[in-house]
Amino acid sequence: MTDFDRTIGRLLIGVTYAATALLAVGVVLMLASAISPLSGGPTLDIGSLAGDLASLQPAGFLWLGLIAVIATPITRVVAAAIAFAIADDRRMVLIALAILAVIATSVATALLTG
Amino acid sequence: MMAGGAAAGMFGSLLGLGGGVLIVPLLTLVFGLELREAVGVSLVSVIMTSSVAAGVYLERHVADLRLGMRLELFTAIGALVGGSIAFLIDERLLALLFAGLLAYVAISMLRSRESSARGAVEGTTYEVRNLPLGVVGATGAGIVSALLGVGGGIIKVPLMHLGMGVPLRVSTATSNLMVGITAAASAVIYLIHGEVDPYVAGPTAIGVFLGASAGSRIAHRVDLRVLRYLFVAVLLYTAVQMLPRVVG
Repeated sequence: MTDFDRTIGRLLIGVTYAATALLAVGVVLMLASAISPLSGGPTLDIGSLAGDLASLQPAGFLWLGLIAVIATPITRVVAAAIAFAIADDRRMVLIALAILAVIATSVATALLTG
Repeated sequence: MMAGGAAAGMFGSLLGLGGGVLIVPLLTLVFGLELREAVGVSLVSVIMTSSVAAGVYLERHVADLRLGMRLELFTAIGALVGGSIAFLIDERLLALLFAGLLAYVAISMLRSRESSARGAVEGTTYEVRNLPLGVVGATGAGIVSALLGVGGGIIKVPLMHLGMGVPLRVSTATSNLMVGITAAASAVIYLIHGEVDPYVAGPTAIGVFLGASAGSRIAHRVDLRVLRYLFVAVLLYTAVQMLPRVVG
């Protein structure tokens, strides 16, 4: 189990390093474009994300980094579920799946009720 | 913004809290952001603190993944229930009870002793007790978190430490693991509603990353008494912050 903890720990660290690298590129591009942090950033538009990245727009890198940050804990639970399944620990697999189900229900409920 | 994020990240990673208690006032009072925007950025910062700190603590075998996942399931259920019954409960009464609970926990933590639990960090085992209490407490933490907008860590750390016999360092490390998942659910909602500003969240999150990285790597060198007093100070500060809500 200790190697398992270490693997999950490294996964978390790796994803956060990648997310921070994307955010750092975005902030450098912001500075290069003389954009103030308080100037009001654009809202997320998934459709224009690839174009923003290709044209080195700061918002593209910042949004991709932020999405990676937000996805990290969910990725951790998914990775734990897979690892527990490999270890044949059914109780922990069920707990991991239940966490994901509750989180999905919370998001869906919040969106449906406005 | 980055410096404030770094302070919040270090503070949060040491104490098992998200750091929102610092980020939200910083962004609203110093940078003039709307509260809702500040909360959106704060949620991203909480996730960053949680991921960085939990990664380091898991790698060093300080965080308890199994306990954390068991409790975070019930915190998530509590948050879901809390969001659904928010309109049924008198917020002033709840704030009063919560402030009283925090003050009681602060006094209990000051009087507690670390005892044999200290050994867990050095590699020996400890025994988690009162799991049913942990389940009830974690559910309560989720409900209070949803109703009052406070982070669950401030409840879960004393719950694990005082109620379940988990060493203080392991409690703060495991709490760091847990706060990320509930913050992620809320952050998705804020993101979809356009309440996360990338130009503010980006620099702040980088600061949080630096602070949380440093905090989680020096945590084992911080004296337990300092950790305990810092946590008690945050408990009392949060209790005082609740008082205007009690008055209404």
